[in-house]
Amino acid sequence: MVVDGLDLDVPAGEIVGLIGANGAGKTTTVECIQGLRKPDDGRLRVLGFDPVTQAEQLRPLVGSQLQSSALPDRLRVAEALELFSTQRARDGGELLGQFGLTQRRRSVFSSLSGGERQRLFLVLALLNRPRLVILDELTQGLDPAARRTVWDAIRQLNDEGTTVLLVTHEMDEAEALCDRVAVMRAGHVIDAGAPADLVERHASTAVIRFSMPDPPAQLLDQVRRLDGVREVTRSGARITVRGHRRIVAHVCAALVRWERVPDDLAISQPGLEDALLGLLNGDRDEPAAAASVNGELIGGRR
Amino acid sequence: MSTTVGRLVRAELKLMTRDPLVLTFVFAFPIVTMLIIGGAFGTSPDPAFDGTNPSHWYVASYLTVVIAATGLVMLPVHLASYRERGVLRRFAAAGFPRWSFAIAQLIVGLLTTAVACALLLAVAAPVYGIPAVHDAWRVAVALPLGAVAFVSIGVLLGSVLPSARAAQAVGLLLFFPSFLLGAGGPPPHVMGSIVKQVAGPLPLTLLTNAVRAPWLGLGTATGSLIGVAVLAVAATAVAARRTAL
Repeated sequence: MVVDGLDLDVPAGEIVGLIGANGAGKTTTVECIQGLRKPDDGRLRVLGFDPVTQAEQLRPLVGSQLQSSALPDRLRVAEALELFSTQRARDGGELLGQFGLTQRRRSVFSSLSGGERQRLFLVLALLNRPRLVILDELTQGLDPAARRTVWDAIRQLNDEGTTVLLVTHEMDEAEALCDRVAVMRAGHVIDAGAPADLVERHASTAVIRFSMPDPPAQLLDQVRRLDGVREVTRSGARITVRGHRRIVAHVCAALVRWERVPDDLAISQPGLEDALLGLLNGDRDEPAAAASVNGELIGGRR
Repeated sequence: MSTTVGRLVRAELKLMTRDPLVLTFVFAFPIVTMLIIGGAFGTSPDPAFDGTNPSHWYVASYLTVVIAATGLVMLPVHLASYRERGVLRRFAAAGFPRWSFAIAQLIVGLLTTAVACALLLAVAAPVYGIPAVHDAWRVAVALPLGAVAFVSIGVLLGSVLPSARAAQAVGLLLFFPSFLLGAGGPPPHVMGSIVKQVAGPLPLTLLTNAVRAPWLGLGTATGSLIGVAVLAVAATAVAARRTAL
C-alpha cells in the first residue's frame, strides 16, 4: 500500500504544495485525484466529483502536467494543441508565446529539448481553462530563466482563481509559490501548513560558518558553551557552528570580543528544506547541511 | 464525444503517415514480396495453384497480408509503445476515455488497411493484372470482416504486451509463420501433410481462403468465412472488454 489514510484538503483558489521523500506516495495521490488510479478505500472528492465514477465530468475541469509521460514522437507542437483542445480551450498560440514556444510550432515532439517538453506540457495543462491544475515536478529540467517564467505563469493563473496542486522536490519552488504545503511520508500527510509555519515548527536550527586558521582553543570552547549552541565542528580552517536561531547574535558577539572577526562569516537560516528534513528524520531538528559535513567534531551536545 | 474520437483519428492518421514501421511493413513489404513471389512461378495455369495463374493466385492472396501486417505488427507495436512511454496516461489524464482511443485505433487500422490494399492492387494491375472476381459479394464480406478481426487482435495484443520491444517480438513471431503458411508462401498443395495441418486453422489461412477462393472461382469457402466471422466477433468483444474503463 503506497498511500494509506491520507488526509489532504486543497482549498479552492490556493496553491498547495505536496512534498516528501521519493516513494512517499505523492505521485500515487495525484493519480488518484485525477482518476488514473482507483483508491481501495476512503472518500475522495475533487471539485465536488468522484474522480473514478465521475471522471467524464471532472477531467475537463482539471489540467495536469504528469510525471513520466510523453506525446507521440512525431506529433508537432501545433498538432498537439489541436489534439488536446476542447470547446473550453483558450488561444493556444498565445500560450505558446507566453512560454517561448512560438518558434517551435512546427517541430515534432521528439526534437524538443527537455525544457521545451516541460513547457509544452504546461501549455497543454493550461489550455482548456482548468479550475484545478495539477503539476508534478513542474520545473524539472528547466533553466533558471524558464523556471521564473513558469513561476510567474503559475502565480498569474492563481490570481485568476485557479487552484493549483504542486508536487515538487524543489523547496525553493514550494516556498516561492505555495500558500500551503503538505509533507508526505510513507503514504501519510505528516504535517501541513504555510511554509513559514512549517519552518518555525520543524527547523529552528541556524548554521554559522567562517574560516579561522589556528583558532584559540578557549574561543571554541566558549562558543561551544554559548546558550543555544548545539554543535561546533572544525574541518581545517573552516568552522561550523549549529544551534538555535538565537546563537547568531551570541556567536558574533563572542568573535568580536576575542577580536577575531572573520571576513567570510556566513549565516544560514533554516528554510523549508530544513523543515522537510527535520520532519522526515523524525523531528530531530537537524539542519540540512548536517548530512554533508565531514568535519572533525570538536564540541557539541547531542 | 464524437469530436474526441475525431480529434484522435485525425492526429493518429497524420502520425501513421510519418511512421517508418507502417510505411515499410504495411505498405512496402506486401507489395515487394507480392511482386517477387508473383513472378516466381510464371503465369501459366498450374495444378499446384488449383489450375490458376500463379501470379493471380498471389495477387488475390496478398490483400490479407496487408491486413495481418496491420493487426499483428503495426497496431501492437504502436499501442505498446504509447503505453510504455506514458502517452496513454497523458491521453487519459487529458480526458480522452480509453474506449475513444480503442475506437480511434480501429478506424485508423481499417483506413490504413484499405489504403494499403488499394495501393497493392494499383501496383499489381500493370504488372500481373488483377484477376477477375468471381464472387464479389463473398470477397466484399470477407475482407472487412478479416480487417475487423485482425485490427481487434492488434488492439488486444497492444493492450496486453508490456513494451514496444515485446510487441515487436511477439508480433513478428505471429506474423511471419502466418504469412508463410497462410497467405504469401507456397500453395497448400505443395505443403507436407503436417505443415498443412498446422497451416489450416491459422486465422490468416482462414481469411486468405475466404478471400481467394471466391475471388478466383475456386469455391465458396463458407467454412473459412464463418471462422473469420467468429474470430472477428470474439476478438472485438475481448478487445472492447480490455479497453473499456
